[in-house]
Amino acid sequence: MATQIVMDHNGDTRHNFDANDAKALLKAEERFKMLTGLGFTAAVRTASGAPTVRHTFDPSAEETLFFPRLVGG
Amino acid sequence: MFESLPHMANLQLRWLLTSASRGAQAIWDWYRELGRENDTEARGLRLLREWLSPAQLAQYDAHRYFDVIGCHSGKRYRIRHGTATNIHELDDAGDPTAGWCFVPRDYLVAGDVMLAQKIALETNERGALTVARNFAPRWSAL
Repeated sequence: MATQIVMDHNGDTRHNFDANDAKALLKAEERFKMLTGLGFTAAVRTASGAPTVRHTFDPSAEETLFFPRLVGG
Repeated sequence: MFESLPHMANLQLRWLLTSASRGAQAIWDWYRELGRENDTEARGLRLLREWLSPAQLAQYDAHRYFDVIGCHSGKRYRIRHGTATNIHELDDAGDPTAGWCFVPRDYLVAGDVMLAQKIALETNERGALTVARNFAPRWSAL
């Protein structure tokens, strides 16, 4: 089961989907495009645990984290 | 006149009960909201802990801050627990040389803010510092 984690005012919202289900995968890709289109950054962890940013949907990613655009505080 | 006294007392009692009921409801709503906020804070911290490296997690547990290395410059930054003005650039001796403030555009809890700051510095340091506000660190020893 793959997960897309979206940071929000509730802490985060998690969307679990079966990466082997074509329909679920398409929906996850649409969510990815929608969020990155809104300015969210998508990050995944490498095998070593280091974060890396994804600019395109990675259907093999087990966990993708989205956080809102950064601004000066 | 005396016949209306019980009626008046009844009205006053009703008013009192209604007010007390509203007060109790307000306290209950506040209490529930407080619990929800605590849940949200806890969820943010749980997510942060999942994404910190073992060394960063140990540092955070011990000091409520953790260090990250900027992906472009190799500089060390210290992210303290908080949601604003919580990042310090450190020199080789571990003393702060600058303060940086950048946060997610939307309101997020501390755990989420610190995680976004960590990922930004480790994957797109220049981009993060481009939007960041610079401030002078107020103390010399962290």
